[in-house]
Amino acid sequence: MAFEPRIVGFLCNWCSYTGADLAGTSRVKYPPNVRAIRVMCSARVDPTFVVKAFREGADGVLICGCHPGDCHYSEGNYKTMRRVPMLKRLLADYGIEPERVRLEWVSASEGQRFAEVVGEITEAVRRLGPCRIKSNLETDLAER
Amino acid sequence: MDCRIGVYVCNCGTNIAKVVDCDEVARAVRGMPGVAVVRSYKYNCSNPGQEMIVQDIRDLGLDRVVVAACSPRMHEPTFRKALAMGGINPYFLEMANIREQCSWVHDDPRAATDKAIALTRAAVRRVALHEPLEKRYVDMNPSTLVLGGGIAGLTAALELAMSGQPVILVEREDHLGGNLARTDLTAPFLDSARDLLRDRVARVSGNPRVTLLLRSELKELQGFVGNFMARVGPAGIPAGEADQTYPVGSVVVCTGYQPFDAARIASFGYGRLPDVVTSFDLERMLREGRVLTDKGKPPRYAAIIHCVGSRSETWHPYCSRVCCMTALKYGHEIRATNPDCFIYDLYIDMHAFGKGMEDFYRRSAEIKTIFILNEKNSVPEILPAEPRHGCGMLIRARDMLCGEDVEIPADLVVLMVGMEARHDAGKVAHVVNISQDKDGWFIESHPKLDPVATTTDGVFIAGTCSSPKDIPDSVAQARAAVARILAKIARGRIEVDAVYAEVDEQSCSGCRMCNELCPYAAIAYDEEKGRSHVISALCKACGTCVAACPSGAIKGRHFTDAQIFAQIEGVL
Amino acid sequence: MAERKLQIAIYWGAGCGGCDVAVLDTNEFILDVAALADIRLWPIATDGKYSDVEAMADGELDLTLFNGAVRNSENEHVARLLRAKSKVMVAFGSCAHLGGIPGLANLSSKREIFETAYLDNPSIEPGSTALPLPGTRTEAGELEIPVFYQRVYRLSDIVEVDYTVPGCPPAPEQVKTVLLAVAQGALPARGSIVGASERCVCDDCPRVKKEKKVRAFHRPWQIIQDQELCLMEQGILCAGSATRSGCGVRCPNSGMPCRGCYGPAPHVVDQGAKLVSAVSSIIDSKDPGEIERILDGVPDIMGYAYRFGLPGSLLQRSHPHA
Repeated sequence: MAFEPRIVGFLCNWCSYTGADLAGTSRVKYPPNVRAIRVMCSARVDPTFVVKAFREGADGVLICGCHPGDCHYSEGNYKTMRRVPMLKRLLADYGIEPERVRLEWVSASEGQRFAEVVGEITEAVRRLGPCRIKSNLETDLAER
Repeated sequence: MDCRIGVYVCNCGTNIAKVVDCDEVARAVRGMPGVAVVRSYKYNCSNPGQEMIVQDIRDLGLDRVVVAACSPRMHEPTFRKALAMGGINPYFLEMANIREQCSWVHDDPRAATDKAIALTRAAVRRVALHEPLEKRYVDMNPSTLVLGGGIAGLTAALELAMSGQPVILVEREDHLGGNLARTDLTAPFLDSARDLLRDRVARVSGNPRVTLLLRSELKELQGFVGNFMARVGPAGIPAGEADQTYPVGSVVVCTGYQPFDAARIASFGYGRLPDVVTSFDLERMLREGRVLTDKGKPPRYAAIIHCVGSRSETWHPYCSRVCCMTALKYGHEIRATNPDCFIYDLYIDMHAFGKGMEDFYRRSAEIKTIFILNEKNSVPEILPAEPRHGCGMLIRARDMLCGEDVEIPADLVVLMVGMEARHDAGKVAHVVNISQDKDGWFIESHPKLDPVATTTDGVFIAGTCSSPKDIPDSVAQARAAVARILAKIARGRIEVDAVYAEVDEQSCSGCRMCNELCPYAAIAYDEEKGRSHVISALCKACGTCVAACPSGAIKGRHFTDAQIFAQIEGVL
Repeated sequence: MAERKLQIAIYWGAGCGGCDVAVLDTNEFILDVAALADIRLWPIATDGKYSDVEAMADGELDLTLFNGAVRNSENEHVARLLRAKSKVMVAFGSCAHLGGIPGLANLSSKREIFETAYLDNPSIEPGSTALPLPGTRTEAGELEIPVFYQRVYRLSDIVEVDYTVPGCPPAPEQVKTVLLAVAQGALPARGSIVGASERCVCDDCPRVKKEKKVRAFHRPWQIIQDQELCLMEQGILCAGSATRSGCGVRCPNSGMPCRGCYGPAPHVVDQGAKLVSAVSSIIDSKDPGEIERILDGVPDIMGYAYRFGLPGSLLQRSHPHA
């Protein structure tokens, strides 16, 4: 059976979640691999959430916010812009490929673009294969 | 788990049910801890649908509700009201978006159903951790700031002042009237713009409740709905000592549009050929009562080209709405000054959508305007004519009706330049915290159902700043915005979201990571206690500080770590 | 009739001995301990044997202070043995609490560790392929050595832990507090962290905190420090904001940044992720290229964020493993 990536998405309410809804009202089709969690601002996305998602079996994480300069809360997306690079370096130290985490700016009127982003991250993670974290931790227990 | 969750899987007619197996979703969550009842229903947002939820809350003692249906941006308020009617706190609701982000975007029923199950399970797990939140109320300052003194701004200011409320009208230029002040007559009834404006300008200027600030701009807007502080100062210079601060309760943005710069389309020769003019140039001539070529002669041939900068793959894709009727108006006005002039009207489609407009089109044909149907995305070329042609210029265009290239004689060419967002629209958007779409127009709360509100409470948009429109629509929007504001003023206080961030003083170590991160300066540091705390009235609940706090001392109400962890576990 | 003395054990798993020294560092107090307790097992200081412990009745020990992480089957065996024989089991020190410094071995696989220790090593004869095996048959009989596990575990991953005393090592004053509390039967709710504050190091740190905006990160030796100002605000990577207090702020008071040894604040699930969130948030830039350059000033993010807590983090070890 072909590997179907399971990707957790964190979408900000004002821009990207609305953009994703617009893809829906426009009936733009995209792969079903991203499961979205709504937050008010991408700045709510604590790196702990990303780590937790991998721990629970996610193969990839997509974080979407407003374009820089357009954040509904003025500067939230800049904080996200600072956090994600440091998080990706940390994940690389953990052996997790940086392509598994993607930060994208999607505005409320970019329904088509949201669909494209979902398609792209799904394919990128599919090429990387499943993330082994959850299964690794389960097999670890078997040695004792 | 000691809660009783009701789960409602909406079929939304066939919108969801056509792709997602709603019964299977219902079955998948039935056995989850805390779930008391699961129903699959046709239209949960309908009155019977809501009543069913209310009845279940009462009969089955439900204390939490999950609705798997459309986007929460659509019906979260609807279902929250249903919970309130049932007697439980409205924040005990969670929605799973299985329509806009599932059934409408996925073709494969198996995959869509699996995703719907995951999203619904996540919602059930999250709702178990919801807490009852109470609404907050803040005072509503009856004063309003109106940005822009064009027809929309004047209408808004006048309506407010006539209702007895104070208004601060801020206008960048040294005169009122905006783009309409540069206009002679209006379509389709050929009323005088000057008359329309003169009356309004006089009434606004003379009204004691209106504080008129010309040559001014809004520098900064702080605070929140009902309690804004607007800093206004001289236009064109950075914020400084000359600025004044005004406390206001609402803001109406009526900053208007700017005309498309015809010089950007080289083949029209605007700026090179002296007898190629824009609509605004023609308006000036019409106001002076003379339509003449650059050499001072009355034109024998006049051509009007539609859609300059609009409906184009290269320039702007949208229609600027008013130009077709204005072009017809020009036909009449040029004829009025030059009865022998031949008028050629090069158009792509004739947009005559409003009251009296089809009639106006017919009357224009009756005065023998020659209509030439141009090919979309083809740009006519304007060239100087030779003496043997007997006219000043030739327009090379493709006539769709006879399928041939034609050369149209013209002594005067009028370019119907479209509307575009002002070059400073981005700055305005930033100051009042609203968004722009890809064409630069301000975004309304909902394009169909809420055209004058924005995503920022208390800030409204009216007129052409949100999209091209004509005078009737601009006036209607200005009045709509005012109606909303007056309603709030009548209530006297505003309900503000119960969702905000809180610092747990028992856990805060005073590290001060948070204070500078808040764009609303809502986190204050107490030097004596060595602790930070959130001023909840200023907090917009973005969650930046919640994520950043290294000791987890800041809690984001309704978006707590525990709730989001439960969702992460639930979707996987 | 003499009151029954407290029966205690102090044991080390994968540790350095520092926690045992911390108990000794209570100075004269240790004599009080000797007066009120029988130390039945304390490998660093006394001559007790495992067989002595195996012979005990369940619950015969009033208290075990277990320091060090669980790295091999012997550590696990003794942890389980002591748990069975003890009324109260305390995870003592960072290694038992979080995995500690030995926990950083979770960034390598067992195979990589063995290759470095026994094969690709300047002190090993080239060509040697000898690797430790858990058992071997000799003329004298079967010989066994403990099995080296694939990864390091916290004590709480192996047995139920009643109390935790954090620190690398726990401050001697806190050792006294805990021992006295046990002696007096005055312990808080089971599962508590004892001998530590409920807040983070910043709460006790005397340095002044003004404005958290960082444009460059520095190692402690790269700048001349302001002795009064918050280290983080000078760009020095201090973990204090994300670390429980109770240590007396020994490190920042000596001009060194907090390393995080007391572990995360209460309710924080992953100390390292929270540190990354806080520290990256205060980077004073809005330009992606500049942000990357500023981050280049942190050569070892894993070491900064998870110096003591890798086995206790959400991801626990590096992935993939060999």
